[in-house]
Amino acid sequence: MSHFSLMQPSRSKTLVTFAALCSVLAFGEAAAQPADGLKIGIIAPMSGPNARYGAFANKGAALAAKEINDAGGLLGKKIELVSGDSQCVPAEGVAATQRMISLDKTPIIIGDVCSSVTLAMQPMVEESKVLLVNAASSNPDITYKAGVGGFKWTFRNYSTDEVRAATVLEYSVKSKGFKKFAVLSVDSDYGRGAIKFTKRYLPKYEGAEILSEDYYKDSEADFRAVLSKIRRSGAQAIVLYGQADTTPIIARQMLELGLAGKVALVGNGEFNTKDTIAAAPKVMNGAVEAAAWLPEVPTARSLKFVDDYKKAYGGEMPNNHAFTHYDTVQLIAAAARQAKSVKADDVRTALTTIKYDGAMGPVSFDDHNQAVMPMALIEIVDGKPVIKGMIATRVDYAAAGK
Amino acid sequence: MSSFIFEQIVNGIITGSMYALVAAGMTMIFGVLRAINFAHGEYYMLGTFAAWWVMTKLMADYSIAIFAGVAIVCVIAVVIGRIVMQRLIGQPFQAGVLATLGLSLILQNVVILAFGGGYKVFNGGWIEPIEMGDFGMSQQRIVLVVVTLAVFAGLEWMVRSTRLGRSIRAVSQNIECCQVNGIDVEQVVRRTFLIGVGIAALSGILTGPINVSIYGGMGESITLKTFAVIVMGGMGNVRGTLIAGFLLGIVESLVAGYIGLQYRDSVGFIALLLMLMFRPHGLFSSKARF
Repeated sequence: MSHFSLMQPSRSKTLVTFAALCSVLAFGEAAAQPADGLKIGIIAPMSGPNARYGAFANKGAALAAKEINDAGGLLGKKIELVSGDSQCVPAEGVAATQRMISLDKTPIIIGDVCSSVTLAMQPMVEESKVLLVNAASSNPDITYKAGVGGFKWTFRNYSTDEVRAATVLEYSVKSKGFKKFAVLSVDSDYGRGAIKFTKRYLPKYEGAEILSEDYYKDSEADFRAVLSKIRRSGAQAIVLYGQADTTPIIARQMLELGLAGKVALVGNGEFNTKDTIAAAPKVMNGAVEAAAWLPEVPTARSLKFVDDYKKAYGGEMPNNHAFTHYDTVQLIAAAARQAKSVKADDVRTALTTIKYDGAMGPVSFDDHNQAVMPMALIEIVDGKPVIKGMIATRVDYAAAGK
Repeated sequence: MSSFIFEQIVNGIITGSMYALVAAGMTMIFGVLRAINFAHGEYYMLGTFAAWWVMTKLMADYSIAIFAGVAIVCVIAVVIGRIVMQRLIGQPFQAGVLATLGLSLILQNVVILAFGGGYKVFNGGWIEPIEMGDFGMSQQRIVLVVVTLAVFAGLEWMVRSTRLGRSIRAVSQNIECCQVNGIDVEQVVRRTFLIGVGIAALSGILTGPINVSIYGGMGESITLKTFAVIVMGGMGNVRGTLIAGFLLGIVESLVAGYIGLQYRDSVGFIALLLMLMFRPHGLFSSKARF
């Protein structure tokens, strides 16, 4: 029987050992920083239920590195990307980061997509004095604990769920007229964090209430039981902070249960992609999402990114994570140019004062190393995402602490 | 409120059908080999992928993909049956654990290498909802339950009335006696494995349209839940497996409906613990079969 309980750990342990062995063999000798290059690490889930995010993240970052290198490099140095697989599991992410820091000696790391992994990476980079620039985790605690909050080596070039939760809630109540909400989010620091802040802002709206609260495992595929409950509870909207790959499953099962047009989805989880909408157009119409980026953003730089990405990757449409990792490599380059140095410490100092001109709009960092940057509020109308507004809110740390 | 309970029981029977189909093969293989097939969920995954591949690459209809998918996985099962499974006869149980765990890793990673680690969308199936009283469900779910009942009726008939079925029962009881009496044990093991794998693949293909997304690691959680089902049903007990599958599905649905979705997966594991502590021989027999 012990074999049964040991199964998963022993599997991942074999994989870790194997991966460690491979990296020793492959990179052991070339571990030192090349004289004419700058190593930037990318930690992202490359296998498991969230592998899709990692693929996009790596492709986006690679595109930015290629652009910079083709234009003569960064302060004369070529950017070399090193990739590590977190599997969206904190233990795996920490192991991958450890390998990256000790074997590849990357001075700067971009990572992870999953909030739970990023939270676990923070103390590690702090100790090693490696600059961590996060490009895709939205749990508010990441920057509550950074800058004046503690971790000096963590920056986040991505909007926090605090801003997202507040905006989605405001739009849902004021513009859509929803009062009764059911929570169905992913059981992770991202999903639970977003709901924690949704609840914090809920009392601002009279009569607004949460009728039920459920969290799903990231490999969950059967939502019938919980959707039956939500249907009978009389909720007008489901607050969903979930994984992109799960949204089509939930949408399809909502269609099956006859919830299309009766209960709306609000929150975040790539509601705006073509495949998701195609899974159940009747359900997705009316869905409200606050997204860090989407291909429809009508700025010149953003449209050029979509074009370049499609050209580079055989016509594939980039997602949010492809863009944020592209943009974060560009941000690091801009900070290095401002500092006239590629040393992690100098780049870090430059980030605190930078005024970066991002593809979505201006980006700067507050004293918690959190980017103040625009985010798009969208609603799906007739099967297409429509941008209803751009939000760029500063987090009010003092008010949140109360 | 009573109709809510009824609805959740129906939901549970649907989920349980999938568990039972996968578990049927696993419990039969345990019967003849005394080995837990830790790779069983992988055949469920392979079935879904085979059908998806037939549909997206060969542009076949879903109804054709059901047969083609099962056929493809059966070919794989014939090869694995010969190379790996029949060699486990008479081996200590550690050999079975290692071999099937290894197979599970290989199959998962081959699929990830071949098709990429990301989710694929499984389009197809009969997903139009049917209204039943005050709740709706897709035709696909009804198909799944009907097929499950038919498969178990077929298995029951096979085990009782055919030569293969009698051989399977004989091998389950005593391998040495079978060898003395001229039953080709290796052939029986290969055929049992083939049937079990075919049913698991069928389960994957039938649930594909409902679960929408497919990926290489999707079999892993199924294996774990299936394990709870075969322990509850009594290892090697086909009929017990069906009831145990329904039972687990129903209790899971009630937990998700009344307590919270986040507690759903704990049901199977708690059941497994309790069973192993108090009734390790299963719910339906008074003493251990093996």
